[in-house]
Amino acid sequence: MEKRVEVKLELPSVAPLLDVIKAAADSLQDGLAAPLAMKEIEGEFRDAWSGELLAGQNKDVGALLALFDSNFFATGWISFTEKNAEAIVRACSALRLRLRGRFLPGLTDEALESGEVELTALEETVRKAFMSYVFLATIQEVIIQHLDSSIIDS
Amino acid sequence: MIVAQSNPQSAPSPQGATELALEGVWHVVVLNDPVNLMSYVVMVFKKVLGFDETKARRHMLEVHEQGRSVVWTGLREKAEAYAFTLQQWHLTAVLESDGEAR
Repeated sequence: MEKRVEVKLELPSVAPLLDVIKAAADSLQDGLAAPLAMKEIEGEFRDAWSGELLAGQNKDVGALLALFDSNFFATGWISFTEKNAEAIVRACSALRLRLRGRFLPGLTDEALESGEVELTALEETVRKAFMSYVFLATIQEVIIQHLDSSIIDS
Repeated sequence: MIVAQSNPQSAPSPQGATELALEGVWHVVVLNDPVNLMSYVVMVFKKVLGFDETKARRHMLEVHEQGRSVVWTGLREKAEAYAFTLQQWHLTAVLESDGEAR
């Protein structure tokens, strides 16, 4: 029997974050969240790697966005399964890296790591980006807590 | 085509001394980033490199505290496959030849 984790989200809290997450997802269409750091890889080989990584990244992000379908907007429920968990947990990583790099440059690493951010002091766009960053981390934690072994053994 | 080694059972086998002497020894080094969760990095090390919980946590802490950790050492081709797979999981991985790694 397939392992499945269902989570009920508060629509009024989550819906406003989806625009930010979608914007981050769109910005990942043609760029890697964690660019290749390997200088040793030759040009042609490097391009092939980047292409494959980008295709995988976009597929993963698509799996995450698919959670927020019409059923979610009707009920508030999303489901993580052994089939989608791996892609979603990776997509959250990609989106958090992109949010950090492009949408949250004014916050320090320490503030982001500790979560000790004065929300009321932030502009609305930054506040939404930070809340999206935290929301995606929460999704990752739920998946790792409940589906870690399914991902590792797959 | 890169064949990503993501299943611990299919991890590269130890190399023979002759092969290593001819091709040189390469290290896969994971660099710190301020974004990925510690629990995520531990899971990725277990998944990609086949580490047990203790070893995965040790390397994660090394990355977190020292900024880098050598997570695998061996022939270049297999080191590249590991680095590619770690990048699929959005960890920053680099290759270093034996003389470069500390």
